[in-house]
Amino acid sequence: MTGSQKIWALVSHQLRRRWRSLLGWGLALGALGALYVGLYPSMSGLMEDFIKNAPESLQRWMGNSEGPMTAEQWLGMEFLNLMVPLALPFLVILMGTRTVAGDEERKNLDLLLGLPIHRRHLIASTTVTMAISLTAVLVSTWLLTYIAVLIAQVDLRPGRLALSFVAIWPMSLLFGVLALFMSTLVRRAFVANVMPAVILVVMYVLELLGQLSQKMEPAQVVSLFHHLGKPIEGDFHLLAVLLMLAGACVLVAGAMVAFSKRDIYT
Amino acid sequence: MQPAVLTERLTKRYGLRIGIDSLDLEIRSGEVFGFIGPNGAGKTTTLRLLLDLIHPTGGRAQVLGLDCHNDSVAIRRSVGYLPGDFGLDTRMTGRDLLGYFGRLRGLSDLGIAPQLAARLGLDLDLPMGRLSRGNRQKVGLVQALFHQPPLLILDEPTTGVDPLVQDTFLQVLREARDEGRTVFLSSHILSEVERVCDRVAIVRGGKLAALETTDSLLEKRRKRVTMTFTAPVEGATFAKLPGVSEVRVDDKTVSLRLHDGIDAVVKAAARHTLVDMSIIHPTLDEIFMSYYEEQQP
Repeated sequence: MTGSQKIWALVSHQLRRRWRSLLGWGLALGALGALYVGLYPSMSGLMEDFIKNAPESLQRWMGNSEGPMTAEQWLGMEFLNLMVPLALPFLVILMGTRTVAGDEERKNLDLLLGLPIHRRHLIASTTVTMAISLTAVLVSTWLLTYIAVLIAQVDLRPGRLALSFVAIWPMSLLFGVLALFMSTLVRRAFVANVMPAVILVVMYVLELLGQLSQKMEPAQVVSLFHHLGKPIEGDFHLLAVLLMLAGACVLVAGAMVAFSKRDIYT
Repeated sequence: MQPAVLTERLTKRYGLRIGIDSLDLEIRSGEVFGFIGPNGAGKTTTLRLLLDLIHPTGGRAQVLGLDCHNDSVAIRRSVGYLPGDFGLDTRMTGRDLLGYFGRLRGLSDLGIAPQLAARLGLDLDLPMGRLSRGNRQKVGLVQALFHQPPLLILDEPTTGVDPLVQDTFLQVLREARDEGRTVFLSSHILSEVERVCDRVAIVRGGKLAALETTDSLLEKRRKRVTMTFTAPVEGATFAKLPGVSEVRVDDKTVSLRLHDGIDAVVKAAARHTLVDMSIIHPTLDEIFMSYYEEQQP
């Protein structure tokens, strides 16, 4: 049996374990997207008046737009630029820690690593599972959101919407892989979960503060949320996406090395 | 013939604590080898070192002629392993788990799993979450055996299973030996080791205290001999004999503990008129305890 066959066997098992959870995530985020789209026709006019009378900081956060708020601006303001990129990494952070530190805590790893598989197979399969899971959730979110776009007859191009989700994918994967890396270093799933989660929340807060206050703008540079750009409005940061993917690859390699060197605890 | 397991000065330390210290061990192909000792003696550490789940601090180990670290995947292909303490995905059934493990072993079916499950009285179609501890242990046993590996490494395999299932399982191990397979079994249930093992190693505080055939271990250690004569006999007659201790005289009955051969005792007894004589062989349990008593500082 080749390594790739073993990895695929591990991936398909992990996906079978999680398909209900993935379905839930896809439906929940898709429903949220659809809700935002459904609200847009009635909110666009209201938002125009609101922005005109809002403080400068709030106007900056909302994109300093003049005239009626577009569907792209409406979806990008919270749903695509803050809510989905904040929520989705948590899905893969939990996956990343569950496979190594989590299964180690539950004493499942001894049985699994008693089989003829390399530890790097486990790391690779978890990474692939995270990538597939993210894709599945984002595709279903896109699909449900776009169905709402068609029903509500909102002027929004499907490609632009898809591009927003494409930009979120590597950032989410990076956090999942960071959690996986952490779980190869520490034996407690809780500890491995906390570090990427805290980094994620701090980055979210920095991005939010940067949008609201000019003084905090320089701090945005350390936030990955900032580097997502606004793909739905045509601002797609390809370099940032590639760098996040490269970072994920480095972390995967680090996780493989760290996991192969350490003892499995009982 | 190449040994199934060979360790040379194998050492594992956990910080300042010793897991196993300079262990030299050779397990021959086709034998059932017992590894006994109390909790914390280093049994599980040794087994997990062989499977590369933990890495040695010193020394080296080979399984089936392969290096435990560099060739660990090849080793695990030929080994059925049952950990001492393991978790199972509660939503999976035994059949699901065996199918999954079978796929990772490159098997297209469940091998002898259905027959083994039937012999052990295990329902493979129940979710693991609904199984008792004993039945989960049976799932562990079946997953270690179902692909018929040449070497079985089993850590406390009968923990939690009832005596009838223990009997069946020990029979399965005997059959594995008869088919030429090797079994490395750790246990603190000495009666099962006594019943199934060809050779036994006793480990204490991370060090090997004894390694003998089960028969010779049972044979050479402290038999209790009780003799009844037609008339009272002086205990000193027997007390001075080599290998004799704990001589007790009760009227016409003499009881003693014998460490070595019985020849001298029989000759001494033959000088009197002997009515009855019984020899009680110690259990492995008693032997095990005697090793511990002897080695206490």
